[in-house]
Amino acid sequence: MGGFLVLAGIAFAHLAVRTRQTLVAIAGVAVGVGFFLAVSGMMTGSQADFIRTLVDSAPHIILQDEQRAPAHQPAVTAWPGAAVAVRGVRPQDEVRGLKDWPAMLAAARAQPGAVAAPSLSGAVAARFAGRTEPLALNGVDPRIEGQLTKIEASLVGGHLTDLEARPDGIIISRPMADRIGAHLGDTLVVSSSAGVLQRMRILALIEPDARAGFYAGDNAAYGLLRTAQVLFARPNVVNQLHVKLGDPDAAEAVAATLEARWGYKWVSWQERSRDIRNLLVVRNIIMYAVIAAILLVAAFGIYTSVSTSVTDKRRDIAILRAMGFTERDVEGVFLIEGLVVGVAGALAGFAFGTVLLEILARLPITVQGKPLVLPLDRSLRQYLIAGAASLASALVAAWLPARKAAAVDPVDILRGAA
Amino acid sequence: MTALIDLKDVTRRLVDPEPVTLVREVSLEIQPGEFVAVVGPSGCGKSSLLYLLGLLDRPDAGSVRIDGRATETLSEVERTHLRLERIGFVFQFHFLLPELTAEANVALPIRRLGRYSRREADDRAHDLLAKLGLQAEAHRRPDRMSGGQRQRVAIARALANDPAIILGDEPTGNLDSVNTRLVVEEFQRLAHQEGRAVVCVTHDAGVAAAADRRIHMLDGRIVPET
Repeated sequence: MGGFLVLAGIAFAHLAVRTRQTLVAIAGVAVGVGFFLAVSGMMTGSQADFIRTLVDSAPHIILQDEQRAPAHQPAVTAWPGAAVAVRGVRPQDEVRGLKDWPAMLAAARAQPGAVAAPSLSGAVAARFAGRTEPLALNGVDPRIEGQLTKIEASLVGGHLTDLEARPDGIIISRPMADRIGAHLGDTLVVSSSAGVLQRMRILALIEPDARAGFYAGDNAAYGLLRTAQVLFARPNVVNQLHVKLGDPDAAEAVAATLEARWGYKWVSWQERSRDIRNLLVVRNIIMYAVIAAILLVAAFGIYTSVSTSVTDKRRDIAILRAMGFTERDVEGVFLIEGLVVGVAGALAGFAFGTVLLEILARLPITVQGKPLVLPLDRSLRQYLIAGAASLASALVAAWLPARKAAAVDPVDILRGAA
Repeated sequence: MTALIDLKDVTRRLVDPEPVTLVREVSLEIQPGEFVAVVGPSGCGKSSLLYLLGLLDRPDAGSVRIDGRATETLSEVERTHLRLERIGFVFQFHFLLPELTAEANVALPIRRLGRYSRREADDRAHDLLAKLGLQAEAHRRPDRMSGGQRQRVAIARALANDPAIILGDEPTGNLDSVNTRLVVEEFQRLAHQEGRAVVCVTHDAGVAAAADRRIHMLDGRIVPET
């Protein structure tokens, strides 16, 4: 420790006499760290917000009444690995709907912190004032569905639970209502492919609001599960289970486990949003490449500063070696110089980045006419990453000239000075 | 009595930029308490010999023993540590670190050796400066001192770890006669009263005359005094 303090003392003395160059190098790191915090805070903040929306707005797992692969032919199962050709096979007409769904619902609800509900979804046509539009009607249990999705936050004019009091109620999107000229309280004539017609009254409208975090499209509609079963002429049948877990990150593993057990297609939110998440990965790569470039420029500043110091101090290096300082000591002096610039730059960058984040947080941004606060990640983790990155780049930048300093032959210098 | 410095057939050559032999088959013994002057024309190998004695350079042939210890087999770190502990250098130019005060310059090797706390190292540096009449300059930087004062600070720094060997490379080359006399008297005191071996490369006839022994060099060899 004593040795380190001696070296640190020399390093500080070197930096102190070259104030302007030291400050420029520190400013370079500070700008790098500051922009790292601002850009990274904005990107990871928006990404976290986006993922949160993905996770919270819809069920974590949706069970659909379909298989990922057709069932194996008995001959293939009987002789695994053999070359089996089965010709002229006509798949048996399958009755749609989840078989044994109460047991699957119980299995889903048995997951830690899980909420699950059945639903029956299908295509219907809605007619109003001579206009007909297709709707994707979801028959749900309103009390539980409200816990599974953020639909309630997007509703205007009523609540999801209003469906319980009005079995003939329907909730459609505001754009759909506008398209057919319907208003809250109007009655639509809804018909299914089973030939059943039902008059349904609009109890609420779904507002396409980005901030509310839920919007399934203009054609999405909601009704009571029992009503949907009547409309589709499929009493006691459900074709989807919606599951929300205590730990959203466990959705992929839980879905795989349930799928292995029951055979149906259990789709986790991770699977549903794989393409989007891949895009986020690409976005992150671009972001970190830009930040790395900024830090690289800062590292060049440190390299220049330490390198100049090494050139200026060749005589001092020789005398230190003559005094009894080792090559590693000399290397240590210049590494400490780089480290000091890195630490000072990181601290100044933290302050600069915090100011930038504050400015971003106060930017007056409006989306669809409503004020929007930028989602920013201002967590300690961001500061730790920025600090570690700046210190690492400072050490690497200082290491090269420090090695050069350690390699100085004192005899060459002293002979030249004599 | 074991010689403090013992060189046997030491040769040092350079191959770059052109082949040249700096020191040829030099054998030399220096005892504690001796003040030795190394004299000779420029380029005769005096400084090169000094760097070999001070373990800053390695011979191509021959052996260098310091305080009875063979140095050829020592690692660079061991040689550096031996230098830190047993050898003090004084150069023609003071070579003080310009950013540090006189006291901090002198305390530097003491602190590096790590035997004393920072306060003890500073006190010790202060005492050394006081002994050399530089008490008032202890907290001055080198650029605020005269040439003679700087060189005496450099001597104090060379004495910082109480070394047995003091090596001077033209230590009076930049000094006026008054300061030269002060430095020579100090070297004599260090050798005769404190029992150190003082080896001083010099062009100054007065300094050479004040030494107990003169070693004449010519073309890298020790030659008899003419």
